[in-house]
Amino acid sequence: MTEEQIKLAIENPKMSARDVKVFYGEKQAIKGVSIDVGMDHVTAFIGPSGCGKSTFLRTLNRMNDTVASARVEGEITLDGENIYAPSMDVVQLRARVGMVFQKPNPFPKSIYENIAYGPRIHGLAAGKADMDVIVEKSLRRAGLWDEVKDRLHDSGTALSGGQQQRLCIGRAIAVEPEVILMDEPCSALDPIATAKIEELIHELRGRYAIVIVTHNMQQAARVSQRTAFFHLGDLVEYGVTSDIFTNPRQERTKDYITGRYG
Amino acid sequence: MTGPAILLLLAGLGAIAWVSARARALRLQTVARATGRRDAVHSLPGYHGWYVALWTLIPAAIFLIIWVNVAPGLVTQSVLADPAAQSLPLDGFSRSAILGEARAIASGNQAGAFNPLSQGLVEPYRAALDKYGIAGAVLALVLAFAGGAFAFTRIRPDFRARTRVERLVMASLLIASLIAIITTVGIVASLLWESFRFFSMVNPIDFLFGTKWSPQSAAMGYGNDDAFGAVPLFWGTIFIGAIIAMIVAIPLGLMSAIYLTQYASPTVRKWMKPTLEMLAGVPTVVYGYFAALTIAPALRDFAVAIGIHGASSESALAAGLVMGVMIIPFVSSMADDSIAAVPQSMRDGSLAMGATTSETIRKVLIPAALPGVVGGVLLAVSRAIGETMIVVMAAGLAANLTANPFASVTTVTTQIVQLLTGDQEFDSAKTLAAFALGLVLFIVTLLLNIVALRVVKKYREAYE
Amino acid sequence: MTAVRNPTDWKSEAMRKRIAGRYAAERRFKFAGLFAVVLSASFLAFLLVTMMGNGLRGFTRTEIALKVDFPASPLLLDPKAITDEALANANLPMVTGTVAKTVLGEKADDLLSPTAWISIRDAIKADPMILSRTATISVPASTGLDLAAKSKGSPEMEAEVARLKQQGILSTGFNMGFLTASDGTDPTQVGIWGAFKGSLLTMLVTLILSFPVGVATALYLEEYAAKNWWTDIIEVSINNLAAVPSIIFGLLGLSIFLNLAHLPRSAALVGGMTLALMTMPVIVIAGRNAIKSVPPSIRDAALGIGASPVQVVFQHVLPLALPGILTGTIIGMARALGETAPLLMIGMRAFIATPPGGITDPATVLPVQIFLWSDEVSKGFVEKTSAAIIVLLAFLLAMNGLAIYLRNKFETRW
Repeated sequence: MTEEQIKLAIENPKMSARDVKVFYGEKQAIKGVSIDVGMDHVTAFIGPSGCGKSTFLRTLNRMNDTVASARVEGEITLDGENIYAPSMDVVQLRARVGMVFQKPNPFPKSIYENIAYGPRIHGLAAGKADMDVIVEKSLRRAGLWDEVKDRLHDSGTALSGGQQQRLCIGRAIAVEPEVILMDEPCSALDPIATAKIEELIHELRGRYAIVIVTHNMQQAARVSQRTAFFHLGDLVEYGVTSDIFTNPRQERTKDYITGRYG
Repeated sequence: MTGPAILLLLAGLGAIAWVSARARALRLQTVARATGRRDAVHSLPGYHGWYVALWTLIPAAIFLIIWVNVAPGLVTQSVLADPAAQSLPLDGFSRSAILGEARAIASGNQAGAFNPLSQGLVEPYRAALDKYGIAGAVLALVLAFAGGAFAFTRIRPDFRARTRVERLVMASLLIASLIAIITTVGIVASLLWESFRFFSMVNPIDFLFGTKWSPQSAAMGYGNDDAFGAVPLFWGTIFIGAIIAMIVAIPLGLMSAIYLTQYASPTVRKWMKPTLEMLAGVPTVVYGYFAALTIAPALRDFAVAIGIHGASSESALAAGLVMGVMIIPFVSSMADDSIAAVPQSMRDGSLAMGATTSETIRKVLIPAALPGVVGGVLLAVSRAIGETMIVVMAAGLAANLTANPFASVTTVTTQIVQLLTGDQEFDSAKTLAAFALGLVLFIVTLLLNIVALRVVKKYREAYE
Repeated sequence: MTAVRNPTDWKSEAMRKRIAGRYAAERRFKFAGLFAVVLSASFLAFLLVTMMGNGLRGFTRTEIALKVDFPASPLLLDPKAITDEALANANLPMVTGTVAKTVLGEKADDLLSPTAWISIRDAIKADPMILSRTATISVPASTGLDLAAKSKGSPEMEAEVARLKQQGILSTGFNMGFLTASDGTDPTQVGIWGAFKGSLLTMLVTLILSFPVGVATALYLEEYAAKNWWTDIIEVSINNLAAVPSIIFGLLGLSIFLNLAHLPRSAALVGGMTLALMTMPVIVIAGRNAIKSVPPSIRDAALGIGASPVQVVFQHVLPLALPGILTGTIIGMARALGETAPLLMIGMRAFIATPPGGITDPATVLPVQIFLWSDEVSKGFVEKTSAAIIVLLAFLLAMNGLAIYLRNKFETRW
């Protein structure tokens, strides 16, 4: 860990990573990243494509476990508990650390069933009435309730792209996670839908620790308070968003945000 | 002159035509090139060779095909005109028997005659065969020469031989592709025609809805009424192919596909998938033998031991079980395809919610893949009900209308085999019934396939 | 807004239990999948083991070492004038019976195969000089004795086996006759050569008809045909033909080839034609896939230097697609080789005791022979049926292996 990174360590981090390395077979995708994610911020990961920002994001809820050749070294903790420890249950972990994907991926079920999916598998609802409450609350928080309240039993795949993505956010919220990871959630959406999602991220801030991967620097600047710049598997620079964009300390960061490459 | 000799001779002529035409074209083109006019040369010499060779062979071949069909009639006519034929009996059957025997002796397929009348006809026959044989060969050769000569005279440096040859190639490709249509039409026409004849003897309503099947009694002259009620056959077919076989094949096939695609290591998958596919490659007669030899007796003993009445050594269960095993790889590969077609993002989405693999499979993947799986099952059913040998060997012939899996039932395909093997005259209702059953089978499997392919196609489109 | 929910307590006892239950369900589900795979595979293994267990015995025969005292036998043959005719006139079957009675006792007729004299004839032919001395010749045992020696026979025969074993004259040898003989009435005499030759001839007809037509159709549809209703009809026909039950093809063969065209019944010609109609769609579908996988850039390159469309296809596309087409053809042929039902329809279930000489002679094929033997009551046919199945499966395995080898060897990734 470099001195600089320690300086940026946050008091009481929700999640923190120490010297994390990820390998796909022989190839190293992440080369020793240390970072803290706080409850009060939206943290943005930026960097050119292939820089490892999405890979790193997926280590935070162990989605990399689904890739047979992937191997993770180092330590990642959630509330001080190592998530790669054998005692950590991956099912619980993923309920606590939710994820929203690049392309909206609602299940081919009704809107209601999409939201109810998580509470149902984790047994969070006491009954039908309780489930109705959870569904309504989650849809409200996802800013979708007013649009879909009359057609909760229509298929989730019939919604527009932006609505689908908010449905996916609602689906993640329904299990009351502590952290929400978003992997380029707007890359498949038009500008208006993007604006709605960004607004939603704004509202959700504070309630959940939010980490968002984006290749759109304006978006990072708009929605995040902390920004981490990844390049070729390295965490090049991590700091307060406004500092990174106005006054980058590293040459590579500067080149990237001024559009030299990426 | 014998057939092979003529063919050999024609082939030789074709080869000569090819070589000489090619040589001539080459010479002419060399001359044309020497004059400096490059555009005066169109096709490669080889194409000129093919052009002339085809002109040599095709007319002669067409003639021979016609001749082979016409000549026997001409031969018979000329034999009948012979004085020795005057003593022939007038009744058509013995008359043609005698003629047939005489022809067999004359062409050397038979050593001696049983009927003295045929012995007298051998000589006229031999003479007529020789006469028409030589006539045919000469005509064919003349045609070959004429065709070849005509084509040969058309060789010029700028003659478009390649275009002509290619046009013929294209035409033959087109004709080849018509054979599929002709076959389909042939199936439909023959089934329809024979069924039509059957239904002129037996009321279609009685056939489709009658519950008593005893074609033997009809053949013995008890009349066709209510001997051809096919409902027990339809039931037996459905019972074995669509119920028992599917009870075996769907869970095993689906779970195998799930295990091999979602859980198994790549090595296990690499070896087990082809192993399971071998189940589909085993000939059905082997399954039938296995069912009849090993499974059926064991099941009967079991049924007797637990006190089930009517247990038979040929049981619906034995045939259905073995057929189910045969269908496993079919269901499994369709399920495999359908599950693979569900986007990875669905799986990720569910896993990221904290679902276990089995919850993801049961609650997301299978519901999403359901149309594809259903389509696959329909295809499997259509295969199972058209399957013949397993049921012929293991299901039995008794047309029972029973739901007891240990009892013997019979199926549509079993009865088709039963009705058509053995020496029956072709016009009896009994043999024609086989075609009516075939028509029903054809229509049902066709509909199942159309519906299944529609379902699968719709489902594929949903994820593209 | 609704009330704020308390954060989930993941460490509570109830939640712990619930998660343990979910993992148990996960294990059960995974086990069910493994169970399905193992069950399916073990069924295949069970089938193969059963066939091997029954069938390998079919390749062997029990032999009795018969001590023949030729000078003392009623055989009247001159060792210096052994001709086929002399042997044929010597009434060897009777002589063999007499000799056997003196050596094996009164029941000798039940112990020796009716073909035992053939072994003696062959021994005399091989070395006429044995006629002047006592020779020991291995002759095949009867079906009853054969069964008793190999597995389980009648009590009397079991006793005979024990007696002969004690004398040390019972042995097991390779049954060459099974590979060289044809169908027969006695299980010790039957062989698969006739059916095998019938299969070969039928497959030859099938290949000659279906391969060119299948490839031509695939080429036409993939390379030349315009997309219109006409090609749609062709495509629909082909897809339907691929799904039509095989017995329907048998009905077609019966009513068109036999009743309408009066082609010979039971012949390899008609069998091959019927199977060709079945195999053709398989070849067309495989061929189209193979042709489709040849990249358009190759066609463009050839067209670009002035080749005609026909030249492009026959000089470039077809050679590149050929391995794929051949793989599909072999798989289609393997299917046709195992097919039984349509051939029953066109009368190839006749009792054929001599191998067919040509494609118009009455013939039978391996799967039909298996079907016919499976119907025989005599217990000796069980092992013969299974042995024929082993031969058939070996051929299918070899064909599929060849197809896989071809696919791996020539598979090109563009």
